[in-house]
Amino acid sequence: MTDMSRQTGATPTWYGRIAASQSMLVLPALVLCTLFIFIPAFLTIVGSFYAFGLTSERWTPVGLANYVKAGNDPIFWVALKNNLIIVFGSIVMQVGIGTVLAAILDRGIGFGQVFFRVVIFMPMVISAVAVALIWLIILDPNIGILNALVKSLGLSPPTRGWLGDPSISIWMVLIVAGWQYTGFMMVLILAGLQAIPKDLYEAAALDGARGMRAFWSITLPNLRNVLLVAVLITTIGGFKVFDLIFVLTGGGPANATQVLGTYIYLQAFTLTNMGYANAIAVVLLAIAVLLGWLQLKASRQS
Amino acid sequence: MIANYRTAALAVALGAVASGAAAQDIKMWTLETEGLQGFIEQAAAEFEEQHPGVNIIHERFPNEAYKTQIQVALTGSSPPDVFFNWAGEDAARLVRDGLAADITEYGQAEGGFAENVSEGWLANFAYEGSNYGVTHEGVSKYFYYDPVFFEDHGLEPPETFEGLLQLCQDIRAIDSDIVPWPLGNSERWKLNHIITMLNQRVLGTEATAADYALTAPEDELFTDPGYVEAWQKVVDLMDAGCFQDAPNATSPEASRSMFAAGVSPMIYCGTWCANIFAEEGFDSFEMFRFPSVEGGAGDPGGQFLVPQGYMVSAKSENPELAAEWISFLVSDEQARAYAEQVGSIVSNAAQIDQVEGTRWFKFFVEDIAQASETVNVLDVLLEASVANAYLDAGVEVLNRTKTPEEAMEMIRAAALEAKNG
Repeated sequence: MTDMSRQTGATPTWYGRIAASQSMLVLPALVLCTLFIFIPAFLTIVGSFYAFGLTSERWTPVGLANYVKAGNDPIFWVALKNNLIIVFGSIVMQVGIGTVLAAILDRGIGFGQVFFRVVIFMPMVISAVAVALIWLIILDPNIGILNALVKSLGLSPPTRGWLGDPSISIWMVLIVAGWQYTGFMMVLILAGLQAIPKDLYEAAALDGARGMRAFWSITLPNLRNVLLVAVLITTIGGFKVFDLIFVLTGGGPANATQVLGTYIYLQAFTLTNMGYANAIAVVLLAIAVLLGWLQLKASRQS
Repeated sequence: MIANYRTAALAVALGAVASGAAAQDIKMWTLETEGLQGFIEQAAAEFEEQHPGVNIIHERFPNEAYKTQIQVALTGSSPPDVFFNWAGEDAARLVRDGLAADITEYGQAEGGFAENVSEGWLANFAYEGSNYGVTHEGVSKYFYYDPVFFEDHGLEPPETFEGLLQLCQDIRAIDSDIVPWPLGNSERWKLNHIITMLNQRVLGTEATAADYALTAPEDELFTDPGYVEAWQKVVDLMDAGCFQDAPNATSPEASRSMFAAGVSPMIYCGTWCANIFAEEGFDSFEMFRFPSVEGGAGDPGGQFLVPQGYMVSAKSENPELAAEWISFLVSDEQARAYAEQVGSIVSNAAQIDQVEGTRWFKFFVEDIAQASETVNVLDVLLEASVANAYLDAGVEVLNRTKTPEEAMEMIRAAALEAKNG
């Protein structure tokens, strides 16, 4: 800055100095983002227009062929559909149940709020891989506690197993994800609930609005922005999901729980179709960018 | 200032000398196999003693993780010098992509691996007349059974596939809750080993060779009705009550434990399983081969055998030393030590008679020596997308969501795409 001032002969202004120091503060993050996000994303986009293997050094240009292939690939659509099932299912389970739990903890019970908050939040601090391994034991068709529980109630567990039956395996994944992340949503929403001024409820009570009426007329409108953020976090998480499914089912049985993340892995590292894997990754990137933009817009509005 | 430059120059010179005398590292990647680490440690100590300045760095990985990590590492800037691999399509692809070194010359030198490993074993990693790897061992599969249970109920190991079906039915007749043959197919490869053997028994090796290599004409590729018949035999096994209810949700480890714990009286498992059963407290098992299929075109003397060994990275800075380390591993003394410590069937069988092995090790060695042909497993042998189709088809057939005919349509479609792609 000083050198530049000498060259131009101008005296640096106070706002010029602030702008320069701000640029310097941003620089490390910018360098890291460029190295680990922008350049890989750019290479992924470029790679999506080529055919190449994981271990081959020859890249053959194929234009839009990888995108056309994705459009005609039934497993790609199964994976996308599963992502959407996880997104909408998670919104219902995690945000819905999280809201109910938060409301109960905020004013529904008069004791043990901290205990229940900790217990419900606890699965969130366990890694997804560990969660998946725990649930693999619970859902095991031979030694799992869920089978024993169902049998003790006089019912029949699924003969193909909870994770082996293609018609129910994705719903089991959804339940496991819900078990892990509902606590996080509950804490987020609970914070929003506790920020609502209590005098609003007192005024409403004087007007005769209590219970569910107060919940619909006061709580929900005041929670709008928090719920919006919760929904967006859940949606983005639903599209990013990988580790939980990779360990629980590996995308099976026969692709029944395949999501875009696990399908990219399958194409890239098992089938070594790196170009095609890149094209699917670009589709996922586009969805993530769109959702990120929505989240940013929502947070600005709030 | 000049003094500083002199100091710096001296430091650089000393550094150069130091680096010149620095240890030569040979990085080796393998699977996490029971007993392997102890063997490598002692072998490395001996090799390092014979080669002052050489340092063997051994890194181990779980099976599934290894398949991915080795491919990524080989394309990176610091791949392992020596790495484990299965003989088959994966190894061939690394050769085609220029990632594996041609080590023929080092093997034929004095003391090289060609002195101790026969041409037949070396052929597993040979491409266009050159050696790109050395077979270290072969893993096979057998039916393990509980002889006490069999004797108590008057059961006999079956010699034919029909006999196997009858055996399952007989065990179910004793107690319908007993699972005769636990199948842990959650990782998909367990059934693939069974269909590998059924294809061989029903069709024969010659009839499948062109399909497996994708060299058959398009209109003939995987069209032999024997393929459907082989899948039908899987359905027959299910109908005979051989497996438990949810094989696709049962892990291989759980199925092994069902046998080792005495819950099930037999299992089809690899030669590596024997030591695991013994460690879990059950070592009085007996073994029999996969039975023949009556009317099948395949050689009933054929036996499952997956050759596996070591390759050298094309980017290795010390390919000669890396090949020397492999030659050391397959030398008479080390092959015997490996067989004793790991209980595996080694490619250098020169001193196999002197191995102080377990009862089952001796059985494997004698039995494989009598095999009229060896059968490599489909997920190693086939092109990746065709292998994946076979793996998925197995899951679908076990779940009864696809018929044998539909399973073969799926595999044929994948094979056609791979052939034309």
